[in-house]
Amino acid sequence: MKKIIISTLAISALLFTTSCKTDFDTDVKDIAVTNGEANFSKYVALGNSLTSGFRDNALYIDGQNESYPLILSNQMKLAGGGAFKQPMMPNNSGGFSNLANPATGDFYGKIVLGVGCNNALAPKPSAPGAALDNISTGGPYQNLGIPGAKSFHLGLSSYGMLNPYYTRFSTGVSPINAAVSQAPTFFSLWIGNNDVLSYATSGGTGVDQTGNANVTTYGNNDITDPTLYKSVINTYVTALTANGAKGVLANIPNVTSIPFFTTVPSKPISNLTDSQASQLNTAYAPYNAGILQLKSMGVISDAEYQSRVIKFTAGSVANGAVILDKDLKDLTGLNPALKSYRQTTSEDFIILPAANLIKPFDATCNPQGMSAGTAVPLADKYVLTQKETLKVITATKAYNDALKDIAASKGLAYVDANTKMNELGGQSGIVWDGVRYSAKFVTGGAFSLDGVHLTGRGYAIIANEFIKAINAKYKSTLPQVDPNKYSGITFP
Amino acid sequence: MKKILISTALLAGVLSYAGGFRVSLQGVKQLAMAHTSAHAEDASVAFFNPAGMSFIPSKLSIVAGGFGASNKVTFQNLNTLSSAETDNPLGTPIYAAIAYKPAKNISVGFSFSTPFGSTVQYPNDWEGKELVQKMELKSFYFQPMVSVKMTDWLSFGASYIYAKGKVDWDKAVTQFGGTVNINDNKASGHGYGFGFYFRPDPSFDMSIAYRSPVDMKAKNGTATFKAPSQNTVNALLGLNSAGQDSFTATLPLVEEYTIGMTYKATSKWLISADFNYHGWGRYSKLTLDFANAPIGNQADPTVLVAPKNFKNSKTFRLGTQYAFSNMIYGRLGAYYDESPYSDENFIPETPSFNTYVVTGGLGFKLKQFGVDVAGGYAMPQARDVKNPNIGFYGQAKAKAFYFGLGLSYNVFN
Repeated sequence: MKKIIISTLAISALLFTTSCKTDFDTDVKDIAVTNGEANFSKYVALGNSLTSGFRDNALYIDGQNESYPLILSNQMKLAGGGAFKQPMMPNNSGGFSNLANPATGDFYGKIVLGVGCNNALAPKPSAPGAALDNISTGGPYQNLGIPGAKSFHLGLSSYGMLNPYYTRFSTGVSPINAAVSQAPTFFSLWIGNNDVLSYATSGGTGVDQTGNANVTTYGNNDITDPTLYKSVINTYVTALTANGAKGVLANIPNVTSIPFFTTVPSKPISNLTDSQASQLNTAYAPYNAGILQLKSMGVISDAEYQSRVIKFTAGSVANGAVILDKDLKDLTGLNPALKSYRQTTSEDFIILPAANLIKPFDATCNPQGMSAGTAVPLADKYVLTQKETLKVITATKAYNDALKDIAASKGLAYVDANTKMNELGGQSGIVWDGVRYSAKFVTGGAFSLDGVHLTGRGYAIIANEFIKAINAKYKSTLPQVDPNKYSGITFP
Repeated sequence: MKKILISTALLAGVLSYAGGFRVSLQGVKQLAMAHTSAHAEDASVAFFNPAGMSFIPSKLSIVAGGFGASNKVTFQNLNTLSSAETDNPLGTPIYAAIAYKPAKNISVGFSFSTPFGSTVQYPNDWEGKELVQKMELKSFYFQPMVSVKMTDWLSFGASYIYAKGKVDWDKAVTQFGGTVNINDNKASGHGYGFGFYFRPDPSFDMSIAYRSPVDMKAKNGTATFKAPSQNTVNALLGLNSAGQDSFTATLPLVEEYTIGMTYKATSKWLISADFNYHGWGRYSKLTLDFANAPIGNQADPTVLVAPKNFKNSKTFRLGTQYAFSNMIYGRLGAYYDESPYSDENFIPETPSFNTYVVTGGLGFKLKQFGVDVAGGYAMPQARDVKNPNIGFYGQAKAKAFYFGLGLSYNVFN
C-alpha cells in the first residue's frame, strides 16, 4: 500500500512537471507587426462611396474617420505604412446646400434617427452642412473613394466635372491617374457596386447594358456591361501595378442582401379588416374579369393570368402589394383598363423608401392608412422584381468572376466581400465578442440609416476582411481591429 | 470573531477555479491535504459528508475558518493583439460547523459554507466588455444535518440544504454606448445531501457522499440599463423611468459525488485520496426571462437564452498528513481539477481551466483547541478560446493561490 501510494505521488509529480502549460506560447505584447512581401509606405485606396466612408446617405467627417481604408492604413502604420490623407468634408452633416435636391434627397445632409409619432424611431434627413467646397490644392489624397462612381468613371479625365464629390478635390485628371501619379506601393480597389446598385435601388428602372460597351449610351441607372467592366478593371490594375506595386481587390456584394431591399417585407399588406379586403376585391373585380377573359381567348397564358390575379385576404394573412410591373405583357392596347398590375410575391424586393407609402392605418400616426400597394398600385421604381433581381445577380456574378481572374493573373490579394456580406445578411449574422451584427435595419448594427452603406462597425468588419486577405497573400501580420470599438447607429 | 468573518464574506467575493464556479475551500485542514474528505477529526467533516459526524471522537466539536483566494485571469486576442487582465478582489470564502452527539449513536450538526461563487473584474473597456465587465456570484449553504451510527464501523448521515445567493453582473451594451447591470441578491434554492462513512479497520476510513443540485432561482431580478440616450433606450426596451426591467432566471449549483479514503500507514502518517464527480452537464444554458425588454433571441423576444454547454467533470485528489508530535502536524497534497467546458464553450464571466493545485499546511493542537493553516498554489492550464456562440476567440491563462486559517474546539467527555 505504502509503495503504491509513493509511486502514485511520484507520477503526480511527474505530471506536474511535464504537462503544465500555464503560460501562453507567445504573448501578444511580444508580437511584432510585419509587412511581409508588401510595402505599405504609400497606400492609395480607389473605389466608390464604400471606400470614401459614406454612410447615412452622406459623406461627413465622422464617417470618413471610420472609412475602411483609414482603418486599414492605421494598421499598416504598424508595419511601415505612411501617412494617409483623406479629402475631408468641411462638416459633420454632409451634403451640399447649393446642390441639394428635395425631390431625390441627393446631396442632403446625413440621415439621423429621430423620435417620431408614438415614440417610434424614425430616420430623417438633415439639412446639408455647406455649399460645395474645393480642396484640390490640399492634395494629393490617398483615399480616392468617390461616392457614386461606377467602374468606368475612375478612368474618365473629365470625371471632376461630372461628380461633385470628385469636383471637390480633382486636379483635372482621372481618379486612376490621381492614384498612379502618386507612385503607390500598395493599393486597394473596390469598385463596381454602383454598376448594378443604381439599377437595383431605382427599382430596375434602368437598362441592362450587357453586350453594349459604349458607355456614352448608358443612363445613370443602367447595368454596366460585364465585358466592359472586366476590361476597365484590367486597365486600372495594369496601370497601378506597372511600378511593381502590390494591392488588393474586393468583389461586389449581392445588393439584395442589404437592408435597403430586405426591410420592407415582400408581402407587406396585412391585418386588413373584412370590409377593407372586400372593398379591394370588389375594386379589382373588373380587372380580374378582364384578364380572365383574355386568358380564355388565349391571349395570355394561364401562368401569366395566375401571376396577375389580384386578391386580398383579411386578417393576419400577408398580402402582396399591387404593383405596376413593366415586364408583364402589355394589355392596354386591347383594353386600356388592363394595366400591368400584379401583386408582389416573396421573390420581389420592395425598397426601403416605399416603407412610408405602405404604412398601415394608425389613428394617430397614419390616419390615411396605406396609400400605395392596395387601391393605388406601387410605382415600378419602388420594386425590384424577381426578373430585375436576376439581372442584378447575373451581372454581379460576372463582375466577380472577372475580379477573381484579374486578381489571380496579377498576383493580387482578393477579398470575398460578397461572402462576408451574405454572412451578415444570414439568419445568425456575425458575432464579435458578444455583439451580434446582422443586416437588420437599425438594430442589426452593421448598416447605416440609408440601408445601403455600412456603419463604422460594418466598415471595421470589412477592413478585417481586407487585412485577412492581405496577410494571407503577402505574409504580412497586420492585426485586425475590434469592430465593437467603432460607431454604430447613433440613437437620439 | 464570527461577526468579523461573516461581514468579511459579505464584503468580498468568492472565487476558485474548481470547475465552473464551484469553490473547493470548505476546510482548512482538508485544503492542506488537497481538500480530501475522509477526515472525521472534527466538525469540518460535516460539509463533506454528514455521516462523518458519527466518527468525530469528541462529543461536541465546533470549527470555523476562512480563506483568502487570489487570482488573475489574462486574455489575449492574437488577431487584434489586444490583451486584458482581470483585477479581481481577494475572495474570502468562509465556513463554520458544529457537531454534537446527544446520544451514543446519534449526531446532529449544522454547517455553513460558501461552496459556489466567483468574482471576476475585467477592465471596463476590454475587448470582451459586451460579455462581462464584472461578474459576482455568491452562494451561502445552510445545512442542518443528522448522522446515525449503524454499527461500530458504519454510519449514515443526511442533510437539508437551504441556499441563498447573489448574482451581480455588469456588461457593456455598446450599441447604446451604455451598460447593463443584472442583479438579484435574493436568489434561493433547496437541496439535500447524504453519505455513508466506513471505518472497517482503525487504520482505514472511507467516505461516500452525495450532495444534490440546487437550483438557485432569481425570481425578481433587476436589469438596469444606463445609456447616454436613456429615454430612447427606455422606450425601445420597455424599461421604467429608472431604466429598469425585471427578470427571472435559474442558476444551477450542481450535484457532487465524492468517494474518499484515508489510510493510516503508521500512527503518525496518514494518506488520503478523493475522487469527485461534478454534474455540470445540467448547466447547458442560462435563460434570462425579462418582463418587457425585447433583447432575447427566442420566439418570445423577451427570453434571452445563452448556451453554456458545460459537461460533467472530475477531480482527483491526493493528500497526506504527518504528526511531528502530539501537537504539530504537517500536511501536503495535490489535486487535478477538470474544467467543465471545452475551448469552444469558454466564457469569460466564469473562466475555467484544467488546473493542477499543490497544497500544504500545518496544524497545531493544544488540548481541545486546534489551529490550522493551509495554502494552495494553482496552476491553471492556459487554453485556446474559440467560442463561436459569442464570437470570442483568443487565449486565456490564469494564476491563483489560496491561504486559510481554521480554528477548532473539541469537547471530550
